[in-house]
Amino acid sequence: MKAGTAFGALSNFVKERFPVDKMNFHYMVEKKEVPVHSMSWGYYTGGLTLFFFIIQVITGLLLLFYYQPTVSDAYASVEFISKYVSGGALIRNLHTWSSSCMIFFAMVHLITAFAMKSFEKPRELTWIMGVLLLLITFTFGFTGYLLPWNQIAVNASKVGLQSIEAAGQYLPGALSKLPHTVIEIFQGEATVGQSTLGRFYAMHVVLLPLALIALLGAHLLQVQIHGMSQGVDVPAKKTEKFFPVFFFKDITLWTSVFLILFIVASIIPFDAFLPFPLLEPYNALGSTPAGIKPEWYFYFVYYPLEMLPFWVILLGSLIVMGVLIFTPWIFKGTSRKTLKLIAGAATAYLVIMTLFGDKILHIVKPGA
Amino acid sequence: MIESFLFGALPYVALFVCIFGSIYRIRTQPISYSSLSSQFLESQGLMWGSLPWHIGILLILLGHFIALLLPGLWHSLMLHSLVLASVEASGLGLSILCVIGLIVLAVRRISSAKIQSVTTPMDLVVLFLLLGQVTLGMVTATMHKWGALWCSATTTPYVWSILTFRPDISFVQDLPIAMRMHIIGAWLLILLIPFSRLIHMFAVPIQYLFRPPQIVEWTSERKEEAAGEIFESEETRRHFMHATIGIGSGLALLSIGIMDKLLRFFLGPRLSQKEESELMEFKLKQLERTAHQKSLELERQENPYILIGTLEELNPTTGKYFIDYKMTPAMAFKGDDGLPNLLSAKCTHLGCTVANQVNSDGKVVCPCHLSYFNIKTGQPDQDAPAKAPLPHLGWVLMDTKGNVLASRTAQGEFTGSIDPTKLQGARVYIAKKLSEGTT
Amino acid sequence: MKKALATFYGTLAIAWLLPLPAVSFPQFQQYCEKHSGRPVNCFMCHMNDDGPTGDGEGQIGSLKPEDLERLNKTRAQTEPGSEIDNPILNKFGNQILHKLGMKKVLELTNDPSKLPEALGKESDLDNDGIPDGQEFADGTDPLNKFNGDPWKLMVINANRYKFQIILASIAVLLLDYGLAHLIKGIAVKLDKKEDVV
Repeated sequence: MKAGTAFGALSNFVKERFPVDKMNFHYMVEKKEVPVHSMSWGYYTGGLTLFFFIIQVITGLLLLFYYQPTVSDAYASVEFISKYVSGGALIRNLHTWSSSCMIFFAMVHLITAFAMKSFEKPRELTWIMGVLLLLITFTFGFTGYLLPWNQIAVNASKVGLQSIEAAGQYLPGALSKLPHTVIEIFQGEATVGQSTLGRFYAMHVVLLPLALIALLGAHLLQVQIHGMSQGVDVPAKKTEKFFPVFFFKDITLWTSVFLILFIVASIIPFDAFLPFPLLEPYNALGSTPAGIKPEWYFYFVYYPLEMLPFWVILLGSLIVMGVLIFTPWIFKGTSRKTLKLIAGAATAYLVIMTLFGDKILHIVKPGA
Repeated sequence: MIESFLFGALPYVALFVCIFGSIYRIRTQPISYSSLSSQFLESQGLMWGSLPWHIGILLILLGHFIALLLPGLWHSLMLHSLVLASVEASGLGLSILCVIGLIVLAVRRISSAKIQSVTTPMDLVVLFLLLGQVTLGMVTATMHKWGALWCSATTTPYVWSILTFRPDISFVQDLPIAMRMHIIGAWLLILLIPFSRLIHMFAVPIQYLFRPPQIVEWTSERKEEAAGEIFESEETRRHFMHATIGIGSGLALLSIGIMDKLLRFFLGPRLSQKEESELMEFKLKQLERTAHQKSLELERQENPYILIGTLEELNPTTGKYFIDYKMTPAMAFKGDDGLPNLLSAKCTHLGCTVANQVNSDGKVVCPCHLSYFNIKTGQPDQDAPAKAPLPHLGWVLMDTKGNVLASRTAQGEFTGSIDPTKLQGARVYIAKKLSEGTT
Repeated sequence: MKKALATFYGTLAIAWLLPLPAVSFPQFQQYCEKHSGRPVNCFMCHMNDDGPTGDGEGQIGSLKPEDLERLNKTRAQTEPGSEIDNPILNKFGNQILHKLGMKKVLELTNDPSKLPEALGKESDLDNDGIPDGQEFADGTDPLNKFNGDPWKLMVINANRYKFQIILASIAVLLLDYGLAHLIKGIAVKLDKKEDVV
């Protein structure tokens, strides 16, 4: 019976992804082995992303004690934290640097997992959850950026949200108003104001963390059940035990990275990279300063948006999103060599657009 | 007089006697060059007394020596209040340990018959002197805090002056009595080294730390097997010991680093008077700004007309910013015909506020993405990122009495008449009914 | 009605001031932007992002009568060293007038690059280690401790916080050492358990 085979197929699918006989301490921890090969460094990237998330949670919690999510007090509360709260400047700087690091390593993790073909059966769910986690991470960045309520925060969020509006011209009839309605749902009112700040705060502090922790738990459970993926075409001859060898190496990496993060956050304030007019409190009735840009991790989509027609970017983003989610099936038969090539090309694009996007924009559009 | 002897001459006597007396004793009575241990006579009391005493005194003396030999480094470390507090607290704790040890040793020496048989008067003198010295140290630490810091200006230069043969007792002669007695006690102990068991300080077998491991050949098989098991069980114990030391000291250092900051974080910052008032002024300004915005919103909600300014003050090349009925920025120019020209200042590209300075081409620019807009037509340039024109706003002109002289809608429909004589003092308004229906 | 009055008085103030010379110096902003490559606005020296003219907060049009008096008093002082308390200038703006005097400032409009030299190295209003004149040349906020040329700040802060950095490094090294032994110890124990089993 069709229903029977469909159900049978589904139950098989679930059984293979959640093998109960492997869900025990002995198998998941004691017997777990990690392959040792030229791409073994890729196995650490996920852990690093998690590490930076933990730093975000701790520093975020400490910031929560003093931050006030109102239009009249947000800027002052952030200044208060930096100037007067004991260790406040360091905590805030750690939070900012760590957010950039988390997004950076999330992207590295995505690309290396792709190149290592870690999404192969039975790890498809792990991959899909990872893509969702990446989207949540970017949303964390976007919502958090608004909270200081300075010029760059409000104007960059406005620009980001209003870019959705441009999609309206491609939708027929009454639907063309839909993006505008969507934006107003995000904003909570006609412009970016107190309602927006309240919503973004709730998202950043409660909704997104809950969603991330739930997905992360499932993601990590899958990793422990299925073990580390093979990673290379020829199974590695040498393996090391997850516990204690790999675990110790992971912890040492975490402590060393923490030290580097601590030193960087102590000596380089993130605000130093921004032109100071952008750091002034937001003034709804004044002029907008020059140099409004989203955060660096959005450059790979921001600069193309400035240079190409909107429909190109829209179509491209939809295709990329689709490809990312359905990767385990699209690239099922692809060789690792090809995957590495694609990953290399994607990395090259991301690096070049992020670092040189500004220069490219000035070449393509000399007036800008 | 007596002070110059005690602080000036006694040190040299003590050092001289110590050095030459010890050399003499080591060469002529080598068998007495030891701690003269009585462990084989009575070991329990010795363990409970000697161990705490030696752990305590060795660490305390180490602290004293580092302060003496590296005064610059020591001083710069002690300037950090948390380090100073930790050092002083540890010192006090260790001296309590010393006192306990010494008391146990003293009781042992008095109560055990076996030990009494080998006790010399000098042993009792040394014991008594050490107890006194440690007590004086504790008194100094508690009554005259913070010794670890003020030693850099007093005792450290004093001892260096002695050692460099330029004695200068002025550093210490005005110190409190407990401190001065502690210094004299130290010189006395040094004096007594060659005459007592204290000489064992020079006999510490340091070479044991570097000697190669010893291979033990067991003669019985049973012991051989047991040795293997013991070594293995010792392995995990060794690892856990190293682990405890490493993690313990690492966490201790980290805690010292963040502890006081963390406490003050939760306690909340304590602002000075000036800082507090600056902060309150800033917050007040922010609140006033928000209140101003709310009052603007209310004004637009309630009033059919909002004043922009007089016709005279409008300028053809510099727009006057105002807020329209939709709470968006707009600007007012004086047109070529002498009448107002009202233009929205919200860029149609991504919403930035357009600048109000008109350039030589009659255009204003939006600073965000450099869209140029013609102020007469509102149209952006061909290559500008903004595609839609800046909408014009309708205006109403009233005289000083409130009579409507003329008005023009956003689309350009003009009503009323312009009498140049009546324009004196005329005021420009935006009207609610003119702004309804516009996007 | 109150609003109308306020705007009316503001307008009067502007009208009254119109005969006096304009005192904003776009030359400094132009030099600063060109030299540093960073966008800057009037807020570096003035109280308002958009400069001194206008009726916004911190601009001439919104000044109360007593503030206007202060403004005129300040404008009368042209030599350095006098107490400057100009209501449309911020601390840095007032510092420039105090140290150089209006006459010298007007001279410098012909060559703004000489301003850092004229201000000297001692003045550092935000105590970030970078002299105010240098911050002007770099296009960073001389009143914000956390805004400055990132690489200069890096060097200065590395020096200021070397004690904390060294101690943190030692702590982390000790922690790593301890953790290594902890994990090895647990591993040996688990191994032995397996052997026994």
